[in-house]
Amino acid sequence: MKIQLERSGGFTGIPLRSSIDTDLLDPEESKALEAMVASAGFFDLPASFLSPKTGVDRFNYKLTVADKARSHTIEFNEANAPESLSPLIKKMTLLGRSAPKG
Amino acid sequence: MVSRPLDIQCILPPHIQKQIAENGTDAQRSRVLQTIQLTDQLQAARQAMGGIPSGGTPAAAAAVKQRIVYSADNATNLPGRVLRQEGGPPTGDPAADEAYEGAGATYDLYWEIYQRNSVDGLGLRLDSTVHYDKNYENAFWNGQQMVYGDGDEDLPPDQRIFNRFTIAIDVIGHELTHGVTQYTGNLDYANQPGALNESFSDVFGSLVKQYKLGQAAQDADWIIGQGLFTPNVKGVGIRSMKAPGTAYDDPVLGKDPQPATMQGYVTTTDDNGGVHINSGIPNHAFYLTAIEIGGFAWIKTGKIWYVTLRDKIKSTSNFQDVANLTYATAGELFGVNSLEQQAVSKGWAGVGITMTQAEKPGCLPGLQKMLMGR
Repeated sequence: MKIQLERSGGFTGIPLRSSIDTDLLDPEESKALEAMVASAGFFDLPASFLSPKTGVDRFNYKLTVADKARSHTIEFNEANAPESLSPLIKKMTLLGRSAPKG
Repeated sequence: MVSRPLDIQCILPPHIQKQIAENGTDAQRSRVLQTIQLTDQLQAARQAMGGIPSGGTPAAAAAVKQRIVYSADNATNLPGRVLRQEGGPPTGDPAADEAYEGAGATYDLYWEIYQRNSVDGLGLRLDSTVHYDKNYENAFWNGQQMVYGDGDEDLPPDQRIFNRFTIAIDVIGHELTHGVTQYTGNLDYANQPGALNESFSDVFGSLVKQYKLGQAAQDADWIIGQGLFTPNVKGVGIRSMKAPGTAYDDPVLGKDPQPATMQGYVTTTDDNGGVHINSGIPNHAFYLTAIEIGGFAWIKTGKIWYVTLRDKIKSTSNFQDVANLTYATAGELFGVNSLEQQAVSKGWAGVGITMTQAEKPGCLPGLQKMLMGR
């Protein structure tokens, strides 16, 4: 399973990108991430949570998950991020913060 | 002296102006000319009084700041737990005290220089929450209050990129100005209007800092967010109004993506259409205007920008609109063809935008010209 998070906006406007291939992780980590995707019901979430009044200087996110069968991307603002996605966003953000951002 | 002051105030439609200019008797032309000159004098006197604060608050009423600082205790519930109230002593928590002082400095600029009583012009209480979330590399205005993160304090020191976001006073001024924009021009937060929204926040954020430090335009650094980066970062700040695109160039963060001119305008769907990127262009126009005018940037250039935001900007205004509007405001405040108005024209020309209403002066000067046969 491939997971990719792109973050834009925020006061600094400096983007953050992180991607991970769960097949390359050790089994425990891989399971944990896949469980986060499943418990969020990710593939059934609507493609966009953006609204015209989305927060000033708040982060915008684009989250893509692809497994062997399908790929799905959702876009949302920090202000209206689905609660169920919180653990996955935190994990991917942590990964992205220690990696080059360019 | 005109016996019956007929305040034209641009109510006369162009075809009537033309009629008087072409067909009126000398006496009729003379009377209209005198009336224009009297109106000019009245307008100049009004402007000298500093204008009327928005929201109808009488200028003579005492304007008092009301600040509260909260802690979110590294969670995301707002506003959080009270740390400091107006008039209360420093807490010893740097984030809380910086948020308190910075809100005060921003309030002071708006009241002392522009006679604006807080964000809404009506003395809105200034609420700030610090210690928002964990490892939160951001600050924002949520429509009602300011919120600040602590940056990367969880990472090992040699990997830290961001300090706490209250550390730079212009960040505080930036966020509060989003509130001012919300209550005035209310620019849409996307594409060119969004980049302008961002730019007004950088402009007045920078002016809060320059006002606090008593810096003339030529002595200011015009850097936004200086102090946010740790020494691990190759950069001087988050954005440069003086030289957009040069604020940082770092192996981890990448390079400052801001353009300085319209030629470099970035078309993207990220960041609501690049609102933090393309703000470099109007930022640079402000900088160029302020340097051209000289002296303290908040006095004349800031006034032109503020009056434009307060009175003329619409939610869909784009760069060209704001160029035209600031040009018109400069003419009203300082005179048509004044050095200040010319400076505004130069400032926007420097970023690749020329006025599209330069040939249409205001109603009164136009009529005056016609009657004097120029």
